[in-house]
Amino acid sequence: MADTPPFPSEVPVEGSELPGPYAVGEYAAALRVKLRGFARVQLVGEIANLRPPTRARVYFELRDADGAIACAMWRNDWDRLGALTATLADGAQVIVAGGCDYYPGSASASPSFSFSVSTLRVAGEGDLLAQIEQRRRALDADGLLERQRSLPRPLLPRTIGVVCGETGKAREDVLAGLARRGWAGRVVWAFTPVQDRHAAPLIGAALRELAASDEVEVIVVARGGGSLTDLLAFSDELLCRTVALLAVPVIASIGHHTDRTLLDEVAAVSCSTPTHAAEAAVPLNCVDARLGLTVAARRLRDHARDGLIARARLLTALSRAPAAHLARHRRALHQSLRELRAASRRLAGDERARTGVRAGTLARCRDAAIRDCAVRRPAELERLRLALAAHDPQRTLARGYALVEDVAGEPVTSAVAARAAGRLRLRFADDAVSASVEGE
Amino acid sequence: MSEKPQSYEAASARVEEIVRRLDSGQAGLRETLELVREGRALIEFCAAELDAVGGDLEELRLDELVARLESEHGGAA
Repeated sequence: MADTPPFPSEVPVEGSELPGPYAVGEYAAALRVKLRGFARVQLVGEIANLRPPTRARVYFELRDADGAIACAMWRNDWDRLGALTATLADGAQVIVAGGCDYYPGSASASPSFSFSVSTLRVAGEGDLLAQIEQRRRALDADGLLERQRSLPRPLLPRTIGVVCGETGKAREDVLAGLARRGWAGRVVWAFTPVQDRHAAPLIGAALRELAASDEVEVIVVARGGGSLTDLLAFSDELLCRTVALLAVPVIASIGHHTDRTLLDEVAAVSCSTPTHAAEAAVPLNCVDARLGLTVAARRLRDHARDGLIARARLLTALSRAPAAHLARHRRALHQSLRELRAASRRLAGDERARTGVRAGTLARCRDAAIRDCAVRRPAELERLRLALAAHDPQRTLARGYALVEDVAGEPVTSAVAARAAGRLRLRFADDAVSASVEGE
Repeated sequence: MSEKPQSYEAASARVEEIVRRLDSGQAGLRETLELVREGRALIEFCAAELDAVGGDLEELRLDELVARLESEHGGAA
């Protein structure tokens, strides 16, 4: 700083022995020189309030339990970090390298102090994340991470509660999700802060009041995206314990799909968007369900009709069975009769043929017999008669011989026999005479 | 199951069970008629449940719900 004040005409503050007064711009420039002269160092801390990069600079804060310091990076230095920048967010523990800097401002621009970061690396799990993990373990140890998931969720609730910010987009998204389900029941809105330090107790109170109502069957807690610190309220341990012990299922949609708060851990369902949370609150698609009911009603009607018709047909068939049985047997009998008649005709024809043959044979036999009787037999008879006649004793008697017989008519063919007989008959050709044997 | 169903999901699950039984063709005439009668009643119940959330969306704030419940509770007391 120059020993001689630039405005010697200005009278110093009365009673002050300090040098000056100096022009503020000159002093600010001198301050920048002085700060830039500080040793360049590395700092370790947790990123907070990381703001979206501008064209020239990236601003954030580095914090720990005892203090904080504003940081700025030139955009080209930030871009040189590459893919690492995508993982940087509030709560990330980082080590930065750089030095103090001071923007002196101007007549129309505010001055600002910043630690000018030339490069950085991730130091490990941030304190906030570590705290959240510690709380998660505590909830897990108490068995509170599973309680909500074991609650039955209604397929078609009539009333749902929704906890969200009054002005955020989450409300519209929830309504869009309900509309997609074709659901138009009752929605009870519990509008609460969703970011500041008052948020967690108010959200917890709203949840308790909603759950105390017998009408609310499921509750949606929805909030749009934000930094880790913005969403910190939803990792509040007391709030999470409240949710875990509710008898009404809670469906959480906190932040973007990459964000994960403790409320997501204890809730019955965790969804990536409020729209999906609303759909999870009403699992049934009402439009499809109506179509399904129509189909089911039609099938029941068909079953009732078909069941009756089928059985009526069966009964009709059964009632016709005896007549059909008789007709079948009648047809069989007629067929048998036709076959029998045909067989009889065949048999009679065959027998007639055989009889004809036999008749022919008999006729031939008859003719032969007639011929035999008329011709052969008379001739044979005549021959026999002649043969017999040739042996007839009468012919012998006719030649003069006589036949000696006893009185009984038996021939006597020896003298002894004649003597024994005593009385004899002598038969001649013309007649017989009696005779007696006289003694010699 | 002749008593009134407790919820939409219970009713719709029972309807599916009934349809499966009827589709199997194993139900006799008497059982078929009883299942159809029960199924029709359940479908009417489900349709009424859908009608209850099929009109205009009703929106109210938590404090309005609390005030109404308190007034109902006070009236009942």
